[in-house]
Amino acid sequence: MMRTVEVLFVIIIIVGAFIVAAQFAVLPSPREIFGTDLRELAVSTLQTFDAKYNLSRIVFNDENDPAWGALQKALSASLPPNIVYNLTVFSINTTGGAVTYYVENSISNAEGDLGTDSEAASCLVTSSEVTFGITPEKIGGEEKPRTLYILNCEDANGWWITGYTGQSLASDCYNLLSPYFETTVLVNTTEQLELLLENSTQIGGTIQNAVVINTFGEAVPIPSNYCEGGSEQSKGYQSGSYAKYCHTLGVRTRLCNWTWVSIVGYPLFYVTNTETLKNYHNGYRIYGMRSVGAAGLNNFLRGLDSKSYSSSDNQWLTKDIKEQLEFTSEARDFSNYYGIYPAPSPMASRALPVTGSLSIESRYQLTRRATMFKLKTVSGNQYSPAATFSHNGGGALTAIGLTRIPDIRITVLDLLMYYRPNIFRSEFGAGDTSRLVTLQLSQQGGT
Amino acid sequence: MAGPTIDHMVSITVLVAALLLTFGLYNQILASALAYQRNHQVVVKAVDLMNTICLSPGNPPNWGQTNSTPLVFGLQNPEAAGYSLSPFSIMRLRSSENGQLVYYPKTGLYYNNVSLDGGSLLMPVGDCVNYTTVAKLLGVNGSYGFQITIAPTLNVSVSQVPASYLILKVQVRGPGLPLSGATLNYYMHQVVSSNDSFPLIITQSGVAQTDSAGSALLEFPSIDDSDDAYSFIVYAHLGGLNGVGYYSHDVLDDKPPFIVPFIKDLEQGIIIIAHNWDVHYYGSPVPAVHYNATFFVLTENFELRQVEIVNSTGKVNYGEGEPYATTQVPASESGILFISYRWGNRFGTVMVPWGISTIGFSVTFGGDPSDYSFVATELRQVIVNEISYQVKLAVWRLKG
Repeated sequence: MMRTVEVLFVIIIIVGAFIVAAQFAVLPSPREIFGTDLRELAVSTLQTFDAKYNLSRIVFNDENDPAWGALQKALSASLPPNIVYNLTVFSINTTGGAVTYYVENSISNAEGDLGTDSEAASCLVTSSEVTFGITPEKIGGEEKPRTLYILNCEDANGWWITGYTGQSLASDCYNLLSPYFETTVLVNTTEQLELLLENSTQIGGTIQNAVVINTFGEAVPIPSNYCEGGSEQSKGYQSGSYAKYCHTLGVRTRLCNWTWVSIVGYPLFYVTNTETLKNYHNGYRIYGMRSVGAAGLNNFLRGLDSKSYSSSDNQWLTKDIKEQLEFTSEARDFSNYYGIYPAPSPMASRALPVTGSLSIESRYQLTRRATMFKLKTVSGNQYSPAATFSHNGGGALTAIGLTRIPDIRITVLDLLMYYRPNIFRSEFGAGDTSRLVTLQLSQQGGT
Repeated sequence: MAGPTIDHMVSITVLVAALLLTFGLYNQILASALAYQRNHQVVVKAVDLMNTICLSPGNPPNWGQTNSTPLVFGLQNPEAAGYSLSPFSIMRLRSSENGQLVYYPKTGLYYNNVSLDGGSLLMPVGDCVNYTTVAKLLGVNGSYGFQITIAPTLNVSVSQVPASYLILKVQVRGPGLPLSGATLNYYMHQVVSSNDSFPLIITQSGVAQTDSAGSALLEFPSIDDSDDAYSFIVYAHLGGLNGVGYYSHDVLDDKPPFIVPFIKDLEQGIIIIAHNWDVHYYGSPVPAVHYNATFFVLTENFELRQVEIVNSTGKVNYGEGEPYATTQVPASESGILFISYRWGNRFGTVMVPWGISTIGFSVTFGGDPSDYSFVATELRQVIVNEISYQVKLAVWRLKG
């Protein structure tokens, strides 16, 4: 009998241990573990209802507006019958740096609290009556406002601008850059370009300290008078080469303190005039164009650096970077600041040398600014795919040595990086501009 | 001596019984915990797969608009953010529900069939992505099974009301309840005869609103409910929730539809207009069919804007020496190719959705979960080219 009593004690201990263990081994409810992800369902519901800004419009309406009823019906109709919801809209008030939220309105298909098993998602919506505006600072300020000249010559052909024309790129440049300049002048013919080169006031704007954008890629428009046999031939043509014209451009850039902008490819590689040069082509059957070769850029830089013209200076400068480029951190910052987002990771086939014996910086007293992409090393020397090179005695060259098709946003961003105009952001409209919308969901039924 | 022996025997028996019972109970707790854990992994996998499918466009991002097989699977619209799916990527899923294939001898190809009454979407099987391929791309082949159902959130049903002229009843329902007060933008394409052999389309459009029961009656006094062929499309929207429904009526004297459209090239937007007798032979007489094809682009405001297409009219017939006709629609635009056809006094219509959502097709893709004891389900609300859809994903474990 004694053994039986002992066994009964043992059983009591075992059962007690089991009961104690079972108290701790409580599994969560199946609905909690296996139910639909209500938070993501709430996120997707808010997103789809606001896909065409319907939600943004409704939540700013008065609470008696019928749109609230429509929203309630739509929510009830879209969610499964076993899901209850509570949509609450909060207005946001900022006073003295402290943010407070006030309940504006709430709609629900459940009575009372949705319970602890509920999940919620929220989104911030902005009133359609609010206008966010920006006011760009003019480059040069009020004292020295700079003029933007965009070459838009109808009697010129482009090269290395596949998919575009010089005129279409000029239009893009105008749209993106004109807000930053006091005056923007479209140079519509090579005759007008001659006025610019001859410092004539007829062209409009202020020629001194101007920015001149050549939108024709590797080709640069040349006035007829500067061509062979023209009245100003000595400024554009010498001994069978138009490199003299590029030298003249370099000299003008220095004397007038211009920033000369080449948007893509090898700068100043061809000259173009569809009337005077109509019987010449660039070697690829694009007529109205003559090749200058590497001598064009070399003589531009010589002119920029007060060096004399040299017909024999035709050393090829650029290198082909056989890998994708990376934006510099500075370029990324300015990209966000100005809201200009060029295509990432382009390629460069006309990167300019900045170290070594061919370095344009050391040979022509240039300082590299507004470096758009990280420098790349080829054959032991560093090359810059896109930057603005300012001359110590005045004038600058923006050279975007990327492969075609041109991305005009890179040119625009590089110029803005160079001049760094401020942007003044403003917000117009009612004070109650944003509201917080939360959607709480809970599953009914089951366990 | 007998007393202690009996005492030992009784005590040992009771102890063994108690131990067995307790081990059984412990075992049950452990088994439940393990089952919970295993099933929880399935739930986590379901959430993971749902996020991948809905929030990634795949690679290449526009694979739905090309003829190539994706390298990474995802259905998100590459031109939008968030829960917005590409209407073209969904077209390329080989449906599991309407699994029967259609063979067209004149191209020698089988076509995936997701057609419904009045609407037809027949994609070449070779251009569709199948379940095994997608399972491999999602990394679950052999370990988890899944089934995706992409269906419009709103069920917009259209039915005829008996009357001396055409009256259509439009009923709008969501999963939760009928949608009252919804705005209806509707388009009635009536097919009529012309001076030549080709049918003409007369389009009427209008706006209406559903009543408290979510229904609306639309009257068309100029259309005879039994003698006229027509196609009716209605877009319903309220408070950010959008749906679409359609209804069509042919006058074919109990003959099958004369025209079957097949998609020939998704990337180029080329559609074959085939004679139905070339797909299934229905015996004599064989109709010589004149058709008139019109493409409508669906705008953001739920308006159907007509776009010019090539070979918009033509004639097709059955048999060798009678080539099929083709037309080309703008491949990047979601819309509806509306083909009306005629043989004598018999008129009919067929619609091809270019982009799954334009007439509210639904797709079920993947395996069959019915034989599995535990199936995790996920639900998301999405937009497919302006139309509200719901994506339901069922996931189950294949091994262990």
